[in-house]
Amino acid sequence: MDASFLRLIGDLKLKLRRSANDLLRWKLYNSSKWSAEALCGLCDEQEINNNHSKQEHVDESPLKNRHSFQKPNTENGTREQISANDGMSNAEYDLYLLASALFDCKEFDRCAYYLANCAHPGLLFLRLYSKLLSWDKKTQESVENIMTLESGLDEAGRYSNDNKTLQKLKKYGHHKGDETKKAQKCVDLGDGDPTSISILLKELNDFLGSGIQKTGLGMALLYYLRGVLYKHQGIPSSAITSFLTSITLYPFNWTCWTELLNCLTRPDESFLLLKLLNEKFVKENTDELFFDGDQVMLRFFKLAIFQEFSGNIDEFLEELDYLLMVFPNFAFLKTQHALINYHYMDYPNAEFIFDQVIKLDPYRLDDLDIYSNILYVTQKPSKLAYLAQFASGVDKFRAETCCIIANYYSAKQEHEKSIMYFRRALSLNKSCTSAWTLMGHEFVELKNSHAAIECYRRAVDINARDFKAWYGLGQAYEVLDMHLYSLYYFQKSCALKPLDKRMWQALASCYDKVGNSREAIKCFKRALQLSVNPEQDTALLYCLAVLHERLDDLKTCKGYMEKCVAVETNFDGMVNDETAKARLWLARYEFKVKNFATSYNLALGVTHGTSQEIEEARTIARECRRRMD
Amino acid sequence: MSHGNTPAQQNPILNFSPHVPGQSHENLQHHGQQLGIRQASGASAQSTAQTPHHTAAYSPLVQKVQNSATLATPAPHVDNGSAAGLLASMTKNGLLGAGAPSTLRKVSGFRDFGSSRVGSTAFEDAKNDAYQASVPAVLSIAELPAAEKLRLWRHDALMQHHYRTAEYIGDKVYSMTHDPNDAFWLAQVYYNTGAYIRAVELLSHDNLDASSVMCRYLTALCQVKLKKYEEALDTVGETNPFKDANGDHPKNVDGGIKLVSSMCFLRGKIYCALNSFEKAKEAFKEAVQVDIKNFEAFDELISKSLLTPADEWQFLASLDFTELDDNEDLIKNLYISRLSKFLNLEEVEKAHAFLIDEYKLGDNIDVIRSKCDMLFTQCKFSACMKLCEYALERDELSLAILPTYISCLYEQGGKNKLFLISHKLAEHFPKSAVTWFSVGTYYMTINKVAEARKYFSKASIIDPSFGQAWIGFAHTYAVEGEHEQAVSAYATASRFFPGTHLPNLFLGMQYLLMDSLPLAEEYFILAYEVCPYDPLLLNEMGVMYFKKGDYLKAKKYLKKAWEAIKTLCSESKSWVSIHTNLAHTYRKLGHNERAVKCFKLVLETAGRDTDTLCALGFVYLRMNKIEKAIDALHCSLAINPSNQASQDLLKQALEINVTMLLDDDHPLLVSSNIQEKGARLLNRKREGEFRASQIAKKLKQGQESSDEEVADLMDVE
Repeated sequence: MDASFLRLIGDLKLKLRRSANDLLRWKLYNSSKWSAEALCGLCDEQEINNNHSKQEHVDESPLKNRHSFQKPNTENGTREQISANDGMSNAEYDLYLLASALFDCKEFDRCAYYLANCAHPGLLFLRLYSKLLSWDKKTQESVENIMTLESGLDEAGRYSNDNKTLQKLKKYGHHKGDETKKAQKCVDLGDGDPTSISILLKELNDFLGSGIQKTGLGMALLYYLRGVLYKHQGIPSSAITSFLTSITLYPFNWTCWTELLNCLTRPDESFLLLKLLNEKFVKENTDELFFDGDQVMLRFFKLAIFQEFSGNIDEFLEELDYLLMVFPNFAFLKTQHALINYHYMDYPNAEFIFDQVIKLDPYRLDDLDIYSNILYVTQKPSKLAYLAQFASGVDKFRAETCCIIANYYSAKQEHEKSIMYFRRALSLNKSCTSAWTLMGHEFVELKNSHAAIECYRRAVDINARDFKAWYGLGQAYEVLDMHLYSLYYFQKSCALKPLDKRMWQALASCYDKVGNSREAIKCFKRALQLSVNPEQDTALLYCLAVLHERLDDLKTCKGYMEKCVAVETNFDGMVNDETAKARLWLARYEFKVKNFATSYNLALGVTHGTSQEIEEARTIARECRRRMD
Repeated sequence: MSHGNTPAQQNPILNFSPHVPGQSHENLQHHGQQLGIRQASGASAQSTAQTPHHTAAYSPLVQKVQNSATLATPAPHVDNGSAAGLLASMTKNGLLGAGAPSTLRKVSGFRDFGSSRVGSTAFEDAKNDAYQASVPAVLSIAELPAAEKLRLWRHDALMQHHYRTAEYIGDKVYSMTHDPNDAFWLAQVYYNTGAYIRAVELLSHDNLDASSVMCRYLTALCQVKLKKYEEALDTVGETNPFKDANGDHPKNVDGGIKLVSSMCFLRGKIYCALNSFEKAKEAFKEAVQVDIKNFEAFDELISKSLLTPADEWQFLASLDFTELDDNEDLIKNLYISRLSKFLNLEEVEKAHAFLIDEYKLGDNIDVIRSKCDMLFTQCKFSACMKLCEYALERDELSLAILPTYISCLYEQGGKNKLFLISHKLAEHFPKSAVTWFSVGTYYMTINKVAEARKYFSKASIIDPSFGQAWIGFAHTYAVEGEHEQAVSAYATASRFFPGTHLPNLFLGMQYLLMDSLPLAEEYFILAYEVCPYDPLLLNEMGVMYFKKGDYLKAKKYLKKAWEAIKTLCSESKSWVSIHTNLAHTYRKLGHNERAVKCFKLVLETAGRDTDTLCALGFVYLRMNKIEKAIDALHCSLAINPSNQASQDLLKQALEINVTMLLDDDHPLLVSSNIQEKGARLLNRKREGEFRASQIAKKLKQGQESSDEEVADLMDVE
């Protein structure tokens, strides 16, 4: 704890406080919430001051600074503050008050109407934003109309059997087409003034391209909005550019960071982006002696990226520790910690941290669905049931709550009910990928591959980084014996998680099934490399052996078979199907090359496997003994 | 009193308005009965009327206006000009000043009544006393003979639309004098009451129509009204009998429209009704050439699309505006603003700027209309709509703006507004073609094609020269896929509107749909000759050559279309279709990179479309970018699962995917290598690197450039 750290805290406090205020004013409620939470999670300045009373003198300057910032605000009231901050004229400010009230009353069209012809970037943002929300609401309503109409048709036999569910899902699938079209949809009141994403985008681009000074919060918000629009249109590259511009103008908009993250689909992109951002933020701040607040945001972003794409775990933990030091009471950070444990399949630790988070902030439902996943995997039904009850007590109509309840039912093997709750979660939050993926798993449980495929597809449509969904797709197609498709999906999941043995293994077996043994071997080898203890992984070894045999490379094949058998001896008597089969193969091989003694020994060791195998081993043993004699 | 400053006073014609109440007492009483209300209501008017110095010009109405104006604001009318001028122009004097006197003069001029010149004619001539000084400039009503007083009475009644009075008195005068002039004026009365047949009979009675050009003109006008076109043509003659061999036309003296021009105009109208558009065009052109002031003839030429866009400009350039003296620039620019907006846009804009700066006509309906037309031609529908609405705020049912507005609403899908405006129109103008065009358009927007057809046909029956209605009518067939009928409807339209390329374009499109490429080509070429600037046409030509397999030509035309549409907003449908077509052409020509760029651009601007994605997948497949191909095909199938082409291609791609070697260049291994090396970023072989560098570049510039790809497109060619 030194002076620079204290100054950082002061700086952060000031900046977060302002951002929470600003973002709230411009109706970015989630970002504002995040900033405010972070602000409250900051380590206590008082405490530090007490601990380091010597340095109080040094602290004076930034603190005084802050006071001088704040004084006019408190004295002249918010009115002055806003006009000073955002450069609105009196008339504009009055207009803002009206628009803001209308926005809060969810009268978006009116809000947009009153703000027509505003040149102030903030007001323009508010106008376009409310137009977007109005558009979103209307398109959603029209889509839902179609849905209810169609579901009304087969209402009669809704839950009668699985086929119906499948049909319904197929319809969902068709709506997927609708949803991709949704971005192009025009909302029109019939008075020739249609609203669509492209129209909004055009207006925004016209404004941004008109050579207006590119600074200030208003511009940052406009760039953010443009990114959102581009994302709607499915042009990630332009969206990334917009988000990046927004972030450089105003780093404290957390939703903007997450949106930026959501634009990335491949790990390599994430690395490049990080590098870029590093350069950007570090270069700008080289002359500063202490880490300033902006860089803290980058650190948060690094954590988020790591959650999605993984990377260097040590670096991650370093960042996390640092941030936890700055924000000891920030639930978001703790959740990140828990999530990383979850991703690394360290369930007990993750569970422990989640327990802490709940203690710290009991009514925070964010990410608790992951917690329920952990409880599901670790098979703690009573705790899961409690969590489900508790969450539904807090808010029944949250996607997270529904996911928790769905997990609960799934744990109780009530898959239909579970699916129902997942569906409910999705109608509350369309972009909840994990719900789609989990619903896919439920359908797999119900042996309904087609429905499962639909679910997985929806999941990857929304979030192409969800390797579980890709993997699920691969598996579902494998069940349907469509290996060409299956292979492609495994490739996808493998590209996302190239350090996961399971991915390579699945890919390899798929290559094997389509008859491409060479590539299968490559993949198995890769899987073996990634295996925790490669000597012990008999399944992989055996598969490799078989593949080499198929390529008539008997020598290598024999090598792998021997390795396989060696496991039995090296790890005291660990016998399984593969070792038995390898043993049998070796026995057969030695028999062929007339090494009857070896063959005999090997054949004797076959005690595991199907009756035929054992029978065959016995025959070989008998034959060997006969020959040896 | 500042009478001298009123606009009415500035015009010498007004001094001699023939129907002015005299100053003699009996006359005053006489008129007092007739105009009782006027005089009773205007005590001050009467008092001024009684002052001894007044000329005949001071008709009570004018005085009232002047008084009120001068009483209200003592400043000269330049300041209160709008009010005073407006009111003054509403008086009968204003009316007369514009029309009647010049006709009168012509009657006298051509027939040369000599000393028998009487009454109104005499009044008329007085203003030209430079060469026909027979009557003193200032005369007193009281000095006139009795018949003359009756004539004044008749005239005043006519001007105030007391037709029965006018007829009654006129008939008496005619019976008393048997003057051909009185016959003419009686015929005018008949014409105004709509009794055309009586007018014709009266005029042909004494062979008046043979002896007087004016009478002949009126006869022909009545015959046109009676739809006796052949007879009317006989009356006016098939060609201009007054045509000057040298081509120069005598300067008009009174500032009105020359009768010769009116005759030419009438001839044009007759030819139009007889469906001989070539002759009609010549007649109208002649009418304008003879007298530039004949705006109606000019308007007919433009609004009925008798001239091609290039011809329009050429014709305007050939016109001589010098006759208009100080109004030369004003009228010239006004005319320019009416011309086709397909070419010479700068000049149109210059004209707009001139009219707005010099004459403050920014809010004038015709300037706005011209701007609307310009926006409409450029497919900027929403801006056009806003401008139309601005104009309609002041003149809600302006028939000049409405057709454009209705078309805009159709383009923008404003069915609710269309509904309202259609109802309003049907209420107020049930006999106007625009009304039924609007109703038809409304039914088109809500996809009730049969009803739409009914109303379009109604509109075109009411006004056969209303182009939009014809085309709309033909469209209804095209929408339903009834090519034969559509073709015949378009063909009719193309006969009616030789100056517009649209019917031929649509004909070509129909033939294109029916796969008769040679015919389509023929029609497209016809359309191209008329208007080589329309991107839609160029696009269709590109498609046609594409279908013919002539990809180089297709590329040429699509490029042209692309050039033409560059300035337009990108969300318009034509923009998208041109880019898609261009992309397909590149695909066929094997320019893979360019095709990919184009397809991507289309996808980005127009959103995802199954066929575009399928084509993109195909190109990627050909470029051996298997992963991208599969992704694109997947997207395509996600939108439409039954897309056979995508399914086949996807299968092919997946099969190739299986056989691809997992060497170091395989994307899978590359990404896994990258991941292994963590954030150190040593390995960046893939296009991800390219993309990020792009981002970096953009970041450094601190701005976005979504147009970059377009610019790239330009570079390649």
